[in-house]
Amino acid sequence: METSVPIVFVQRKQIGDYDKTLKAHKEGKIQKLLETKGHDHVQDSYDYDLIVIGGGSGGLAASKEAAKYGKKVLVLDYVTPTPQGTRWGLGGTCVNVGCIPKKLMHQAALLGQALQDSRKFGWQFEEKVKHSWETMTEAVQNYIGSLNWGYRVSLREKKVTYENAFGEFVGPHTIKATNNKGKEKFYTAEKFLIATGERPRYLGVPGDKEYCISSDDLFSLPYCPGKTLVVGASYVALECAGFLAGLGLDVTVMVRSILLRGFDQEMANKIGEHMEEHGVKFIREFVPTKVERIEEGTPGKLKVIAQSTDGREIIEGEYNTVLLAVGRDACTRTIGLDKVGVKINERSGKIPVSDEEQTNVPYIYAIGDVLEGKLELTPVAIQAGRLLARRLYAGATLKCDYVNVPTTVFTPLEYGACGFSEETALEKFGEENIEVYHSYFWPLEWTVPSRDNNKCYAKIICNIQDNERVIGFHVLGPNAGEVTQGFSAAIKCGLTKAQLDNTIGIHPVCAEVYHKSNLI
Amino acid sequence: MGWEEKAARGYSEFVQAAQQSRGRPVFALFSGDKDAQGRSWCPDCVTAEPVVRSELNSLPDGAVFIYCQVGDRAYWKDPNNEFRKNLKLTAVPTLLKYGTPQKLVEEECLNRELVHMLFTED
Repeated sequence: METSVPIVFVQRKQIGDYDKTLKAHKEGKIQKLLETKGHDHVQDSYDYDLIVIGGGSGGLAASKEAAKYGKKVLVLDYVTPTPQGTRWGLGGTCVNVGCIPKKLMHQAALLGQALQDSRKFGWQFEEKVKHSWETMTEAVQNYIGSLNWGYRVSLREKKVTYENAFGEFVGPHTIKATNNKGKEKFYTAEKFLIATGERPRYLGVPGDKEYCISSDDLFSLPYCPGKTLVVGASYVALECAGFLAGLGLDVTVMVRSILLRGFDQEMANKIGEHMEEHGVKFIREFVPTKVERIEEGTPGKLKVIAQSTDGREIIEGEYNTVLLAVGRDACTRTIGLDKVGVKINERSGKIPVSDEEQTNVPYIYAIGDVLEGKLELTPVAIQAGRLLARRLYAGATLKCDYVNVPTTVFTPLEYGACGFSEETALEKFGEENIEVYHSYFWPLEWTVPSRDNNKCYAKIICNIQDNERVIGFHVLGPNAGEVTQGFSAAIKCGLTKAQLDNTIGIHPVCAEVYHKSNLI
Repeated sequence: MGWEEKAARGYSEFVQAAQQSRGRPVFALFSGDKDAQGRSWCPDCVTAEPVVRSELNSLPDGAVFIYCQVGDRAYWKDPNNEFRKNLKLTAVPTLLKYGTPQKLVEEECLNRELVHMLFTED
């Protein structure tokens, strides 16, 4: 409260009354303010220590960690609606339209299979088993809603300010936040973290945005998608196709070239074969050129015209729903990065960063799916976010380790992996320097119901020159994620083939196959 | 228009009060029963009530606030009581926005800012 006039402002910063102004002048503060040309802001004039753009896995982890060290943090999260009008709450892709609903629907499909198996184990029920898409979706969305709410409570408890607004840079250290009513607010911060993630790519053909859906829409679709064409060969495409088929729907997958680019191709092909044998149709080496609506409705009927990749053949098909899963684009083009000089890869939109997640602009950092050359996984973003906050505000030095990150693809036959694919290992070390051990296995639980005895598969790749160090781990089978997690820690400790052989297996479980000497 | 308070004792009264309020935003505070002196057997509920009440004026227009006494301690401890089974309550006090996954449980109810957030934000 000022007690005397004059009241002095310099460069929009309030110094105060006569006494305060004199004091500031003596301390050199006024001179400093007069010297700033609007490019270098004085430390204590920022609204926040850290502004995080993007309230997903990475953004939330970083903001909560920074707040732990007493920093003043603002998180801006905003979901631009899909072409179909779908939106969701705080938490990012994983929670709302990724990992969480995906795994729950995958589980719904597995339970369908389990119900069938159960009869062989003696369970008797007369009614034919049916599935209600609406019941499942409502339950999944309800759970997601509790997660959205949980994040908001968590941010509030940790004193992180959250605004549901679209953040974009407008100048050095300055951001504009626009809420869904169009109201604009401006904020400044000492440091910024870009964690805006990605959104599904569209094909760029007539009818794609009007009639097709993406994973952004699928998990909250209020009606059963019916006969579905999934376009794409990514893990998103195969996982979605997998659980839709598992729920009893008629599913076709249209693939331009190979399955699961970037993954071990032997494993990718086995996944595809399994899906095909279990009722998923594949149309290979075709791309859609046009999507038309034949009938309105929920879901309605669509006609898809597609052309072979060699250009020679044109086919048509009718589906209730077309799900596009042809890739994801980084959300970096409309957030004003040019205004602050942050360089992005023009082709991909991704942001190159140092191994400390710093962009070319020293006070701006980036984590998560927006990063160039890094794995697009929730735990990676979380780890990177936490470690970054610790380095910035708690004097830590530990950097995020992006090597040997375990992953799992939740196709009907799950695939877990850690380390090198066979192709990459061959390329890096040479055929004569690696040894591949592999084995098929038949889960005990599959014997009684007579499920496939030749599909589940285990493979490890060893570096002969380094004590037969395990450099690649692959498993195709039930609970692949659970199996892989433990092995990934062992690999981090430098697991060798000899150690694998000397570890006694647990019986009867699938994972013991890695400890049997019949891995040839 | 302001907001309206309803009182309920036990599960069926709660369901009735909620049904009567259909179409309006409904918030409910679940507490252990109060004795003849007006004190609940649940100490956190005793502390939470004034905090929640201090924020009632930020309820949206037309909202209904149901103050529901769930029962005595023995009833509450029974893992099959109707509140646990049907409303999935796990503890008292619980403050929730009916029909949504938004709720505050135990110590969260003592945090005025969180109560304000529950009452005012979507």
